[in-house]
Amino acid sequence: MRTLRLGDPKRRLRFGLIGLGVVLTLFVGRIIQLQALDASAYAADANSLRTQTVRLPAERGAIVDANGITLASSVDAFDITADPAQVQKYNPSATAAALAPIVGGDPVKIEELLRKPDSRYVVVARQVDPAVWTNVKQTQKDLSAQKRNDLVGIYAAPHSKRVYPAGSVGSNLVGFVNATDHGGGGLESALDKQLAGRDGKVTFENSLGRQVPTAGRKGEDAVAGDTVQLTIDRNIQWYAEQMISQKVAEAGAESGTVVVQDVHSGEILAMATSPGFDPNNLSAANPANLGNRAMQEAYEPGSTSKVMTMAAVIQEGKAVPETQVVVPGALPRSDTVFHDDVDHGTWRLTLNGVLAKSSNIGTILAAEHLGDTQPAANAKLYEYLQKFGIGSKSGINFPGETAGLLDPPQKWSGSQQYTIPFGQGLSLNSLQATSVYQTIANGGVRIAPTLVKATRDADGKVKPTAPPARTEVVSAQTARIVADMMESVVADDEGTGNKAQIPGYRVAGKTGTANRADPKLGGYNGYTSSFIGFAPADNPQIVVSVTIQAPTNGKWGGTLCAPVFKDVMSFALETRKVPPTGTKSPEIPVEWKP
Amino acid sequence: MNLGLKMRAGRPKAFGLGGPPTLQKLSPAFSQRRSFAARAIERDAPVRRLDWMLFGSALALSVIGALLVWSATRPRTQLTGGDPQAFLKKHLLNLAIGLVLFTVVAVVGHRRMRVLVPFIGIVAMFGLFAALSPLGATINGQKAWILLPAGFSLQPAELAKIGVILGMAMLLAERVDTGDVERPGNRAVFWSLVVAVAPIGVIMLMPDMGSAMVIGVIILGVLLASGAQARWMAGLMMLGAVGAAAVWKLGILSQYQIDRFAAFADPSLDPAGVGYNTAQARLAIGSGGLTGKGLFHGQQTAGQFVPEQQTDFVFSVAGEELGLIGCAVILFLFSVVLWRGIRIASNADDLFGTIIASGVVAWLGFQMFENIGMNIGIMPVAGLPLPFVSYGGSSMFAIWIALGLLQSVHMRGARAFTRA
Repeated sequence: MRTLRLGDPKRRLRFGLIGLGVVLTLFVGRIIQLQALDASAYAADANSLRTQTVRLPAERGAIVDANGITLASSVDAFDITADPAQVQKYNPSATAAALAPIVGGDPVKIEELLRKPDSRYVVVARQVDPAVWTNVKQTQKDLSAQKRNDLVGIYAAPHSKRVYPAGSVGSNLVGFVNATDHGGGGLESALDKQLAGRDGKVTFENSLGRQVPTAGRKGEDAVAGDTVQLTIDRNIQWYAEQMISQKVAEAGAESGTVVVQDVHSGEILAMATSPGFDPNNLSAANPANLGNRAMQEAYEPGSTSKVMTMAAVIQEGKAVPETQVVVPGALPRSDTVFHDDVDHGTWRLTLNGVLAKSSNIGTILAAEHLGDTQPAANAKLYEYLQKFGIGSKSGINFPGETAGLLDPPQKWSGSQQYTIPFGQGLSLNSLQATSVYQTIANGGVRIAPTLVKATRDADGKVKPTAPPARTEVVSAQTARIVADMMESVVADDEGTGNKAQIPGYRVAGKTGTANRADPKLGGYNGYTSSFIGFAPADNPQIVVSVTIQAPTNGKWGGTLCAPVFKDVMSFALETRKVPPTGTKSPEIPVEWKP
Repeated sequence: MNLGLKMRAGRPKAFGLGGPPTLQKLSPAFSQRRSFAARAIERDAPVRRLDWMLFGSALALSVIGALLVWSATRPRTQLTGGDPQAFLKKHLLNLAIGLVLFTVVAVVGHRRMRVLVPFIGIVAMFGLFAALSPLGATINGQKAWILLPAGFSLQPAELAKIGVILGMAMLLAERVDTGDVERPGNRAVFWSLVVAVAPIGVIMLMPDMGSAMVIGVIILGVLLASGAQARWMAGLMMLGAVGAAAVWKLGILSQYQIDRFAAFADPSLDPAGVGYNTAQARLAIGSGGLTGKGLFHGQQTAGQFVPEQQTDFVFSVAGEELGLIGCAVILFLFSVVLWRGIRIASNADDLFGTIIASGVVAWLGFQMFENIGMNIGIMPVAGLPLPFVSYGGSSMFAIWIALGLLQSVHMRGARAFTRA
């Protein structure tokens, strides 16, 4: 009886065992499928869902002047952002009202942003001071303590800010950064690769928005950008900007530039442009003024170019400063009759006098001696112009830099071959023009201009700029002779550049008053006035070029630009502590008597 | 290999006649003749007849559980309050209490507990109502807890499972064990169902569908083992199916429960929402591979990607950190526990013991099946802890009490004596 009864449950319990076996087989099969067959797929899935990669922005390198004074640097700042979806759960008007006074914005505009539909991210204020974000956080805390939701959904993201402590000083050279914190113009753009550094990234495991501490993080550290030290002296730069701005305003000119260069190193000490802009307030700037006219604008140089013709004639042994030149009042050449700036009868000038009085006719006559035939003379002149750097870029790689325009002699038109010796029919920029005078001042050796003195990488390793290219254009003797002639331009009271005289110093220079090509009119309109020179004339240290475009009040290089040259050169000599040489100018005759 | 069997094999036939000990022989008057200590060291002492394989497997599962709970809760500072070992300590304390309860139940014995059954039933029902009353606490949307001082809480539904097993066993076995009938009559089955359905009703009000399901399975297991007529079980299963359909159609289920089924039916459904928990658990298990990432080195675990990982999803910790090998060990230990349980049920010398053992096996087996099943994605999610392994005091106590009942049936089972 009992066995019968017991047999029944026992048989049934055996089903339990079978069921257990089935379930276990099922489980083991499933686990093998999960962990052995598909394991790598699950592991990869798990990783990709879990990990998050975040960019670590590299700190952008600073730009400093030759003495280490900061011209551009990056500081911590925050973008104040909002999650409109979150804000809209409460009261966007209250949020805007609470936020506006802190971040300094228009509450109406902020509210408009906060009410943006279907959005989870808007930027309320860009690159504000860290203190502003601290203030927002504190207010958030205070409000939430009062159980108010006014600032719920407001966040911040680090977004470092580029600041220019020197303001507009050097702005046309240093440039600016764009919204992505990369160079937008000037050296910021030219040197962007060096300044930007290398962004790092970090991949970490993320849970509930927090890093998983035990999971480890991997990635690359950001490498801060290099600090770039310029050759610019901020003080000279500042002074040059003051002077040129003042003169541009006074002369009612379109623009003006000043370039200050060290004679022996080729380093640019200042490169001033007027009008300029304030890089700390880009939105207020006129886009036309964001560039650097000293390198980006080509113009026909006019008389300052005669120095190259003179140097060629002397180097070729075709003349000496005392060579007597009969200068008629008018000179028919090709299809044109050439005149000088002032009408005159026949002048009897020395070659020195031709430069001092800036006679176009005298210069044409001298240049004709460069070859037995006119084509030969043209070819020779072209050779010298090229060696002086005309028609080629400086090598600075400044964005938008122009090489100017120098046609090969075969293309020179009938009249062009006579205008090029006195600086019309070719174009160059202020830096190229300055470089010509640096060559003469440096004993005939042209040194490619440089703007960057050295870079210092994130580890503090300083890398000086490679020595610039040197080209012997004319002999030291020729350079000396041309320098003496240029001294007459300034020292001689009949010279066009006498307003550039600096008491105590010997100054060599050349004026220029060129017809200005107006691309809008397709012809000449207005003038380019300039003065370029160096000092001390017998031991040159500094070159200064002053160029003013389209003045409406006055036009002569000798009256508009020479005074600016005088002021800037005086300041530069003082700043660089260049002593007067204490010698007397040579007195080379300007005229001759038959 | 079979430690328990060997011990018994060398044991002389203590009761000479070889007959099963009767209730009279084990009556209090009989056992009080010698001191407890003297009885404990006796060769026939119940403690020496313990099913050590069952006990060892259960203990091993509890210890593995402690480690897994520790690993899962170390980083969860918002739960641990800064003490990484907080859950480990509480889990070990729960285990210690569970072992004490186990010992008490095993020593007292399931037969002597017959007298306690009405009391257990009343306490369980009282507890269930208390949990539903304002005294109870709502956790995860279920009003199933009674909070105790010092951060402890009780889930009366766990006690109800024991109550159902004992109550049904008593009602079903009574007339069979006295030899009056061969199998439980319809009356006994009916009344036993009344006893079992009452707590299910209260539990479903909480609503704790998981526990209700467990009790449903216990009922089936108990009826199966009791020898009750098969039509009862068929009827119950039909009722269950109809009930489930009705529940589904009448919208009694909460949205989250419908979502769970939807997520089960289509695992790729909304992995950030309803499918999140299972998807993350499966990722954790899948990324463990053959040998796992090592205890405390699971990134899914450290990253707290799997919600409720110390309780319902503790198996995913094992999957990620201990790998296929660890999972296999856990499954092996469970199969030992369940095999020994079934063995004890079929070897019990009376129907009371058989039913108790079967109820416990149905309970543990179903919870293991559902829990591991939902972890590995072959069952829909239901809030059931993994016996021995999951964190949770009430569950731990109830399961060790259940194990005590199993051992009691074993130690006092006739077959244990006769089998060589």
